[in-house]
Amino acid sequence: MMSASLDETVAETAPFDPFELQDTVTGDIRDPYPRMADLRRQSAVHFGNIDFTGSDDPEPPLVSEVPVPVSVFGHDEVVSVLRDDRTYSSTVYEGIMGVVMGPTILQMDAPRHKVQRALVSPAFRSRILERWETELVRSVVDDLIDAFAARGRADLVRELNFGFPVQVIARILGLPMVDYPKFQEWTIGLISVASNWDRAMAASEELRVYLTAVIEQRRRQPADDLISDLVVAEIEGERLSDEDILAFLRLLLPAGVETTYRATGNLLFGLLQHPEQLEALRNDRALFPQAFEESLRWEPPVTVILRKTLKDAVLGGVPIPANSDVGLFLGAANRDDRRYADPDTFDMFRQAQQHVGFGFGVHMCLGMHLARMEARVAVNAILDRLDDIRFDPDADDDPHIHGMAFRSPTSLPVCFSPR
Amino acid sequence: MRDRLPDERIAALSLQILIDRDKCMGSGNCVFWAPGTFDLGDDGISVVLEPAEGEESKMFLAQEGCPTRAISLWRDGVEVTSP
Repeated sequence: MMSASLDETVAETAPFDPFELQDTVTGDIRDPYPRMADLRRQSAVHFGNIDFTGSDDPEPPLVSEVPVPVSVFGHDEVVSVLRDDRTYSSTVYEGIMGVVMGPTILQMDAPRHKVQRALVSPAFRSRILERWETELVRSVVDDLIDAFAARGRADLVRELNFGFPVQVIARILGLPMVDYPKFQEWTIGLISVASNWDRAMAASEELRVYLTAVIEQRRRQPADDLISDLVVAEIEGERLSDEDILAFLRLLLPAGVETTYRATGNLLFGLLQHPEQLEALRNDRALFPQAFEESLRWEPPVTVILRKTLKDAVLGGVPIPANSDVGLFLGAANRDDRRYADPDTFDMFRQAQQHVGFGFGVHMCLGMHLARMEARVAVNAILDRLDDIRFDPDADDDPHIHGMAFRSPTSLPVCFSPR
Repeated sequence: MRDRLPDERIAALSLQILIDRDKCMGSGNCVFWAPGTFDLGDDGISVVLEPAEGEESKMFLAQEGCPTRAISLWRDGVEVTSP
């Protein structure tokens, strides 16, 4: 019964599948931004599936009277959609991530979303996160750097970025260190839902068994961790069910692991490509927030998010029929030249402006303060411990940021003088 | 553009800050953009501190960066957005 209903939902969403895009990308989309800029110059809103793989792609239509996939490339239009959650619904995710994660806040609309988000959000406030900064994150990062520091060269993607967010999120949840390799595997399993259905469903089920036991245990015996907090959280008489908690935890693994590792990589890539900015940050760590925000504008790790119109809408002057899947290209919005001068350039000294790298509206990234703190600690540790860090000229590699739905560097081969 | 105003004009801005407590979702993004002006209360809803000197440009970033647009800025009874 389960698989029949899943097949239905998949068939429904098949015409607009961000993971399919991701697959073509892991195939290798190196720079989708020129194409997006071309499309945006014609119109902020396009209809039909858009191919980013070649240079002679057909032009998508500018109007449609029936619901077809919609793509939005303009900054103001993306912000308008994300602020209007009564027209543009998040329930579109029920048939995508909902299948492997369960009913998470990602796919909820008001009023349920507001209550559920309020129940989980206290743990992600910046002040609450301060304790993890020295107690956990710096020590995890230092251990990983210890393993390669003496060598004088390393690939920061594989040897640092990939390893630390999973350890951080697992410790915050209160899960034993011995299980970390399994989380990494399950995380990759979950997000490969389109390319490898069986693997995603297996990861989902293994996580259910594993986490259900942990939730039951914390209900009996609360500890100093997030799962214990979720078990007792209560707002105006509302509490989280085991199903709610399980879904949230299955969301947290990819959301807290994949995105942070990619975002940290994109920041490091930008800095390594611009040694003068790296040097400025080395000399004045107070510049970190603007450096990280600029990297999130320039190369957000999640480049596309989805909504579905609940009613007929008009966006940027373009009519959109009810029941349309709407793809919001955050990366394109962040490079809208009507808002950002010289948008394709990574420049941490540019005029600070709000961006949509963390999304916007009621679903704006719950973990943004954690991501900011983790990236800051990692980059500070690198700057504290690895002098003269630069791209390794002898590396047999061509490091570049690639991907479509998710983007991050393929590798970050660096050399340095260890302290 | 707002940071490029002449300094004396920024200094002349005397802003009133209003927070719509029903709209505020406690994202904490205002505290990130303007830590001298905003904080989160125990209930997770944004509160205004005594604004620090020279924070006006950051207040506009906080206003624009609020994901639910719960922050409005007022001068002489008139709502103002980025100057």
